[in-house]
Amino acid sequence: MAKIKIDPVTRIEGHLAIEVDIDSNNNVIYAHSTGNLFRGFEKILIGRDPRDAVHLTQRICGVCPVSHCMASVNALENAFGYTPSDQARIIRNLILGSNFIASHILHFYHLAALDYIQGPEMEPWTPHYNTDCRLTSSQNQAIIDNYVAALEARRKAHEMAAIFAGKMPHVTTVLPGGVSVTPTSESISKFNMYLDWIIDFINNKYIPDVNTIADAYSDYFSIGVGNGNLLAYGVFDLDNTGNYKLFRRGVYTNGTISELDESLIKEYVMYSWYDNSDTNKHPSNGSTTPTPDKSGAYSWLKAPRYNGEPFELGPLARMTINGDYTNGISVMDRHLARAQEARKIAYAMKDWLLQLEPEVTSYDELTVPNSRVGVGLTEAPRGAVGHWIAISDSKISHYQVITPTCWNASPRDDNGNPGPIEGALVGTNVANVEKPIEILRIVHSYDPCTGCSVHVSRADREVISEFIVNPVR
Amino acid sequence: MEFKEKSLKRRNGSMRITRREFLKWAATSAAALGLSQLDLLRLEKVLADSSAPPVIWIQGASCSGCAISLLNVTDPTTVDDVLLNHISLKYHPNLSAVAGHMAMEKIEYEMIDKMGQFILVVEGSVPTSANGKYCIVGEKTDGTPWTMYQAVQDLAAKAKYVIAAGTCAAFGGIPGGNPNPTSVVHLDEIVEKNKVVNLPACPVHPTHLVKVILELISTGMPALDGEGRPKAFFSRKLHSNCPRRGTSRAKKIGEFGCMNGLGCNGPNTYIDCPLVKWNNGVNWCIGSNHPCIGCAYPGFPDAVSPFYKF
Repeated sequence: MAKIKIDPVTRIEGHLAIEVDIDSNNNVIYAHSTGNLFRGFEKILIGRDPRDAVHLTQRICGVCPVSHCMASVNALENAFGYTPSDQARIIRNLILGSNFIASHILHFYHLAALDYIQGPEMEPWTPHYNTDCRLTSSQNQAIIDNYVAALEARRKAHEMAAIFAGKMPHVTTVLPGGVSVTPTSESISKFNMYLDWIIDFINNKYIPDVNTIADAYSDYFSIGVGNGNLLAYGVFDLDNTGNYKLFRRGVYTNGTISELDESLIKEYVMYSWYDNSDTNKHPSNGSTTPTPDKSGAYSWLKAPRYNGEPFELGPLARMTINGDYTNGISVMDRHLARAQEARKIAYAMKDWLLQLEPEVTSYDELTVPNSRVGVGLTEAPRGAVGHWIAISDSKISHYQVITPTCWNASPRDDNGNPGPIEGALVGTNVANVEKPIEILRIVHSYDPCTGCSVHVSRADREVISEFIVNPVR
Repeated sequence: MEFKEKSLKRRNGSMRITRREFLKWAATSAAALGLSQLDLLRLEKVLADSSAPPVIWIQGASCSGCAISLLNVTDPTTVDDVLLNHISLKYHPNLSAVAGHMAMEKIEYEMIDKMGQFILVVEGSVPTSANGKYCIVGEKTDGTPWTMYQAVQDLAAKAKYVIAAGTCAAFGGIPGGNPNPTSVVHLDEIVEKNKVVNLPACPVHPTHLVKVILELISTGMPALDGEGRPKAFFSRKLHSNCPRRGTSRAKKIGEFGCMNGLGCNGPNTYIDCPLVKWNNGVNWCIGSNHPCIGCAYPGFPDAVSPFYKF
């Protein structure tokens, strides 16, 4: 038995290492996923003004800051007992939608495509693992050209977001009570121009390029196959009841879709560098005590589980749970679902833009309550994200975040169940152990973002009273 | 082939005689050496690349927001032009094609081969407790974990210049916020000060970053203030350049007017945001009716929070 270790896994956000054991035929028989960064964000939040969480938690991730912003503002408004207006809801959707599109384009071209194409023969595209390039030279060159065009496309998606976000990455305009920005006829038109340009890019470059790669690498519809469990919290509210969304929430298990019960989410730490007393906790009362030298542990990620089972999150989960994608759960299915989701969101944004009222600012000044709890569930481009807050003496007394990559790239749980990426790697044949491109392709298909996965909450304070189990939306 | 031709054409403008001579020699010796036209083209590319100033980018306790911000640059030029024609990005965790052992081999090679020549860009602060285990950059070729703490020391010692990209690297940022659970430090605390250019803001402003890289390559160290920040971008407080300075006070968020009474940190924070704005000039915080949260302030977040003073 031999081991292959990829540390660092590049072209992801954050610090991730993958170690696999292979048998004599180079088939993966065991896989370990290791998150290699711990910052202690949630501990840093304790004692601060709850409203600051919207700005601080965005800085968990520079790739999907808007998702953390939205989860945080949802958690706060849930705790404050406030429902934002339609105008604020739509502006938030437009900012979040722009971030989804920027992230999906970045992921395909700049983080994943180099696993399938021969990049330019210069740094940072050399050296590389290109042992299995199957595209014709003209196909290859077209995607290289689009790699450069995609730099412009994702930049424009950020410029589009900034019209209502103030700046990107890291949004300024979204806060409990609404948004600070006032749309004007001019800014709405400008947004629309960006959106048309980006829709053209998605339709005429992004989706055709993903299809080209899916055709050439069709065996990847049966490589990196998931465990059959998909989960989504849902995102993009279409009314202010929170019941009607562009992507509904739900749980998919081997072909059956059921309702999500948020109370069934727990985190386990037997194989994480946290004290064992932290295990099997719901995030509303989760505790986290870093123990960097704990023996047997191998990751800074905890192992989130739903009803005790590992679940895969992301565009494929959202698209499958909503019936928009039905093909399967594999490396190529993840790429196809992600591209098709970008198109679905972009077209929805065209409609939302028409619903905006020019010259109307939607912000209500809210009083920070003395003692409350709240939960905010939404989606990041790479999957469901949840924030759980408790407020005491008008300060944050407890804050817990579970990010999508914490699910996807999680280590084993206390029952020994591997995380989704760990499970998907098992059975994969590696052609060249020096250049294990197959492993990179599988890992990259999940769009991991381990900066997001960093975890800690305050160990000595459990707030259970007043906890609202049903999320605001 | 438009992509490759463009890169070669632009680079030819700054070719060196030695390189030209070498290529001429290689062309005339091609048959004897068994080189094809394709081989010659590859040779030319290798030489073109190695003549570009090398840059190594590493990430510590960061969120990759500064790397994403770099991709947003438009002034003085766009990121594809920077990557293709101005620098040779030897390693970047988000952009490098290579991973794992080969990536670490590359960094170790570049460290030795380009000693004293490369520009090191550091994103994120540096955890020091638990022997640095809170952030591992990768596994070294000898099989040991390379902590961010060690990586910064190893690479900075051999770099010509070090850029602290963003508030985390420059001043500690949110990972260094109270109670600073991983005991992060910022670059000035572990790197010789005369090497480091601090570019605070969360994220780093891409125009600041690219202008500094180009200035370091073309003329050397820019004039810095007492905090190690380039005077060109950080000599005046945001409030001094703010177009809302002197307008009537906004009474609540979302209204037009000076937000000094709502917790705006513009009067404390040295940065030229009102002039450069963000995202290709599309918008900026105050332009969207929101107070400055002081993300470029040395004490961010502790010294400037709570962000809302009402």
